[in-house]
Amino acid sequence: MGMRTTAEAFIGQITSVSTVDDLETALHTICEPLGFEYFALSHHIDVARAGGASIRLHNYPERWADYHDANGFGVTDPVHRASHVTSVGFTWSRLPEMIPLTPHDRAFMELGRQHGIGDGFTVPAHVPGEARGSCSFANGAGRRMPHEMLPIAQLVGAFAFEGARRVWPARQFDPRASPCLTDRQRDCMLWVARGKSDWEISRLLGISEETVTRHVKQACERYGVNKRTLAVIRTLFDGTLTFGDIFWR
Amino acid sequence: MLHILHPAVETFPDAVMRAMFAARKSVFVDLLKWDVPVLQDRYEIDQFDDHYAQYLVLTDSTGAHLASARLLPTVRPHILGTLYPELCDHAVPTGPDIFEITRFCLDRRLRAAERRIVRDTLVTALADHALRHGIASYTAIAELAWFQQILAFGWDCLPLGLPRVIDGAQLAALRITISQQTPALLAAAGILRRDAHAGHTRREAA
Repeated sequence: MGMRTTAEAFIGQITSVSTVDDLETALHTICEPLGFEYFALSHHIDVARAGGASIRLHNYPERWADYHDANGFGVTDPVHRASHVTSVGFTWSRLPEMIPLTPHDRAFMELGRQHGIGDGFTVPAHVPGEARGSCSFANGAGRRMPHEMLPIAQLVGAFAFEGARRVWPARQFDPRASPCLTDRQRDCMLWVARGKSDWEISRLLGISEETVTRHVKQACERYGVNKRTLAVIRTLFDGTLTFGDIFWR
Repeated sequence: MLHILHPAVETFPDAVMRAMFAARKSVFVDLLKWDVPVLQDRYEIDQFDDHYAQYLVLTDSTGAHLASARLLPTVRPHILGTLYPELCDHAVPTGPDIFEITRFCLDRRLRAAERRIVRDTLVTALADHALRHGIASYTAIAELAWFQQILAFGWDCLPLGLPRVIDGAQLAALRITISQQTPALLAAAGILRRDAHAGHTRREAA
């Protein structure tokens, strides 16, 4: 089979699934011809909502899964963090070039190697404002990375993520569910994000400190959070503010 | 307001076109740093903006640009066929009923919530336009992050080849097949026409 035909066959399998179980079976079948022993699909349907629905499908050996669970899989895992800084698939051996690794991260990865986890390839996937996740393919230690298959793995990962989004029952689609700030509230949140105090913001915007405090409080209320740091994170998540607003303008 | 513009068929509102070319400069040159020509320091216009290109442009009630897309006939020079044929593992799809979607542009002034409404409206307009004018499929080139979003629209979309790194960006070519089911597929994925701005009227040239 040519590369394209191989990719088409895999994508065909994934686009035809109609349940989460089917998707798991399809990924299981595709893994081996792709050159990997294991897959893990992690998909947060709604990351903004605490306890939002999430999918985790994998065929990792039990000892790997236990290891991940014991180490807070998905939250502090360096692979997951790295998948937030790129939209393109990456091999795990590239992690140190992609994100700063703490001593704990290095220990985590070393522990992984001791558990027999070798190199892997992770395809990050984001649908802005809605879903975030990744699809990883991995091998046990000592097995070679199938570099020639990675472009196919990239496409398979993208379609697997979309497949999960399609078949997962608890989907939420309402852009208006995200609150809309007033222009003034947004201005104030921008300066909060840049680390200014209410008094400093009042000087910058030429309004009273009390007014700034009120705008920030109301912005927090619109997001249903009680801390301004959380409100800033929400404005970044839903696109009310962008990182570019904070750092570069 | 949705404007569907065929330069070959009629003269079109100059202000709408100018606003679109200026918005394209703002998005593709200033924001995304594409290496494409800029006219008079203000307008992003390339060799494919000729009499054969068609445009779908959404404006608000004052005529300000919200979003736009350019459609190129694949029987003539177009981006996939002329510049990036290597993104297709087989022959580049061409034909009178295949158009290439290029310069899909959401205005930078839009806020997140408006952006999504405007984007969804433009996507449904592309599907409606295809059905009304006998377009069987669209082709397009996308960076991988955008590719994931295009998949999430729920329509029938498949890659034409494996992604490749070109000028530092990982690009993939794709084909979107349009059928009578497309509007329902889009709706099932939450892509609906929404009247973000009052007075959506339709004005067609051909």
